[in-house]
Amino acid sequence: MTRFLRTTIVLLASFLMILPCGCVPLPENNMIEEITPIIFWSVKGGREDGKITISTLVPPLSKEKKRVLTLNVSLLNEGNKGFNLIYHNELKAGQIRLLFVDEAYAKRGLTSLINTVLTDPNISKRLFLVITKGNFDEFLAKHLDEKDSIDFYLYRMFKHYEKKKQGEITVVNLHQFMKMLYSQVSDPQLPVFRAEGEQLLYEGTALFDWDRMVAEIRGQDDQISQLLYRDRFVRYLVLPDLSVTLGHIRAHTRKKLTSDLSSLSIEIDVKGRIDELDSLTRIEDNFQYVALTQKIERYLEENVFHLLSQMQHLRIDPLQIGGLTIKPFSRPITRDTWDRHWSTMKINVKVRLHLEPLTKVK
Amino acid sequence: MTAISLEALEQSLALMEDAEIINRQTPDGLHFTFIYIGTIIDQERLNESIMEPLVRSFQSSVEKSLITAKITRLFNLEQALQDLLKGSVLVHDSSSGRWNAILLPNSLSRSIETSETETIMFGPKDSFSEQLEQNILLIRRRLPLTALKTERYTVGSLTQTTVVLMYIDGLINPEFVDYAKNKLSSIDFDMFLDSSHVAAFIEDHYHSIFPQYLQTDRPDSCAHSLGIGKLVIFVNNTPFALVAPITLFHLFQSPEDYINRWLVASFLRPLRYLSFLLSITLIPFYVALTTHHYQMLPLQILYVIIESRSKLPLSPFWEAFIILITLEIIKEASLRMPTKTSQNLGVIGGIVIGQAAVEAGFASKVLIVLAGISAISTFLVPNYLVTKSSLLLQFMFLIFASYLGIPGILLGLVGMLAHLNGLTSLNQPYLAPVSPFYWRDWVDLFVRGPLHAMSIRPDALRPLNKYRVSRRRK
Repeated sequence: MTRFLRTTIVLLASFLMILPCGCVPLPENNMIEEITPIIFWSVKGGREDGKITISTLVPPLSKEKKRVLTLNVSLLNEGNKGFNLIYHNELKAGQIRLLFVDEAYAKRGLTSLINTVLTDPNISKRLFLVITKGNFDEFLAKHLDEKDSIDFYLYRMFKHYEKKKQGEITVVNLHQFMKMLYSQVSDPQLPVFRAEGEQLLYEGTALFDWDRMVAEIRGQDDQISQLLYRDRFVRYLVLPDLSVTLGHIRAHTRKKLTSDLSSLSIEIDVKGRIDELDSLTRIEDNFQYVALTQKIERYLEENVFHLLSQMQHLRIDPLQIGGLTIKPFSRPITRDTWDRHWSTMKINVKVRLHLEPLTKVK
Repeated sequence: MTAISLEALEQSLALMEDAEIINRQTPDGLHFTFIYIGTIIDQERLNESIMEPLVRSFQSSVEKSLITAKITRLFNLEQALQDLLKGSVLVHDSSSGRWNAILLPNSLSRSIETSETETIMFGPKDSFSEQLEQNILLIRRRLPLTALKTERYTVGSLTQTTVVLMYIDGLINPEFVDYAKNKLSSIDFDMFLDSSHVAAFIEDHYHSIFPQYLQTDRPDSCAHSLGIGKLVIFVNNTPFALVAPITLFHLFQSPEDYINRWLVASFLRPLRYLSFLLSITLIPFYVALTTHHYQMLPLQILYVIIESRSKLPLSPFWEAFIILITLEIIKEASLRMPTKTSQNLGVIGGIVIGQAAVEAGFASKVLIVLAGISAISTFLVPNYLVTKSSLLLQFMFLIFASYLGIPGILLGLVGMLAHLNGLTSLNQPYLAPVSPFYWRDWVDLFVRGPLHAMSIRPDALRPLNKYRVSRRRK
């Protein structure tokens, strides 16, 4: 009897221990061969009836002939449920890693979509968000071959550039997007890709005002923006106007706001090397080398200033400069206050270039 | 008590074809009767050292004729039969009517060989044999102390097995000795053919799958245990001695730990704990992840698993269960086969069957790899009994993982820890020095600290003399 009682108490205690932890004692049947863990959704808006088009590729992560599933739905999970009815396996969203959103949809605002994804406990916060242009479904349709695991390769691409902040392309996951979205003093940014035939081309970075896409920066501006955003590493900074390519660039940025929020001074220390030079400048000559360095410094200063002015004009802050206003034991400023100050702020930019010439300078 | 008589002895030894009763007469006309069991005595010594001197002697008694022999006077039949069966020759002097016993056991035994169960690269190579006296000798050589006490017990109504309790008096906690003596005295069973049979009767929790006595055939290991305040139990006719009290952590210690450099040993010891955990939970984790928690798998691994499991007819649980059972069959078969055949069996079992199972679509490549890692991990634990126990634990975790996923594995681990916490060895806690906590003993627990840092005997053993170094300071 004592043993029976003891066993009952131990079992009861164990289940009580498990249940409050949120663990379901009898979990879902997720047998891996019976489910289809999709890894991306593509969402397109702009239909006349207000519905969205949601697409995915099945079967994911396997070397089999694939097909694109597309549905026109009102709600995201309606699409998720609808996919199950038209495919032989149950589609599970627990491994979803990429969310491609059409540019038109992004311009209308992403809050409802993001909230749906965010509140789903199965979906990880490490979900890469991407803005797409062109016909993304057509791009998928060109990659249905059994040897082609385009879904997996796209994920690998984002994961590669996310790691160590490689800086070739902008990579933002759901967690980072949410953090910037709900911050009082900054705005989100997302990468933009264009689907062209069977290619998906990186175009630049989409800038957001709250949850709506308002602008896009490309090429050189995009690279400079990446350097400024949390001191990233950029493999090549191509400056065609100066006929020079800087390589292995690391920037260390110091931003300083005056206490009355009237001016911002940015000091950028750029370390790198001259990888390519397509001019008659002889960098082995010290005089010419210093002149080139100064030229690049002025050029970068102008471009940074131009980029920040654009952001001021749009009253957006994707570089999170507003974060400088947050101090311990002081009340954070409101969005409106920051926008008002930011749009009229005087900006001073100072770039200091530390170049390795990779040649003997006399 | 029955009086000894030739008739009574003849009656007792009836139908024993190796029992001999020989009569001899001396030149003086004295009659001697020799009674012995031919197979268990040294017949050569009997002829040369007992019979020859006795029948040629002109002395009046056995004691006077055989001055170098150890002669025991017998008074009753029970004692006579007991001595006879232990290898004594009974000698009856018809003139005096006395019965004497002269111990002449057959010293047939294998020589001192290298330990096969606890092999080490460096260090002492000798190991115990089946002969009790030889085993005690190996310890006495290492610990030449008068404080090294041995107490004899006889257990088993049929086997009459001699058990020797050994400890260092004045060092060991007397509580352990008293407890072991009580346990040994209370044994009531007919046969004891191995030390594990004795252990089964003296351990505190015989239902547990964890051994509560350390079985070893290494004299250096026994000497070390005695020296830090443990006791050793030798059982006749088995090369494995029992060491107690032990804790779970002792089962993961190898004699080589104290031979390797301390940093190397400290690296290897956690590896054994990790291997034990891997051996019991690696495949259950695979089953839990592929059955319930596909979300937890990194996408790269999911890619590989989906590819490998896409066309399998069996669920992850049954797949793992069948592979593990097959693996155990191969392991058991290779243990029972001759050495050369077992090597081939390992190759056939491991590579050919594994490869064939994958190609036939019965098992996934991932599981075969995990089963291999899991099987090899079991061999890192120095204690053979724990290696065997880990198999049962693995199946328990497998069932938990299949029904409850990762919470099931955690539940199993909590249950296992609770069980271990409740275990005792020689009435001492099995999880010491972790629970109860003895911080000083941690120097030789998960890591093997330098010998200089081990100047104090383990607190958990509460030895009477806790210092291993001279306390005199200049």
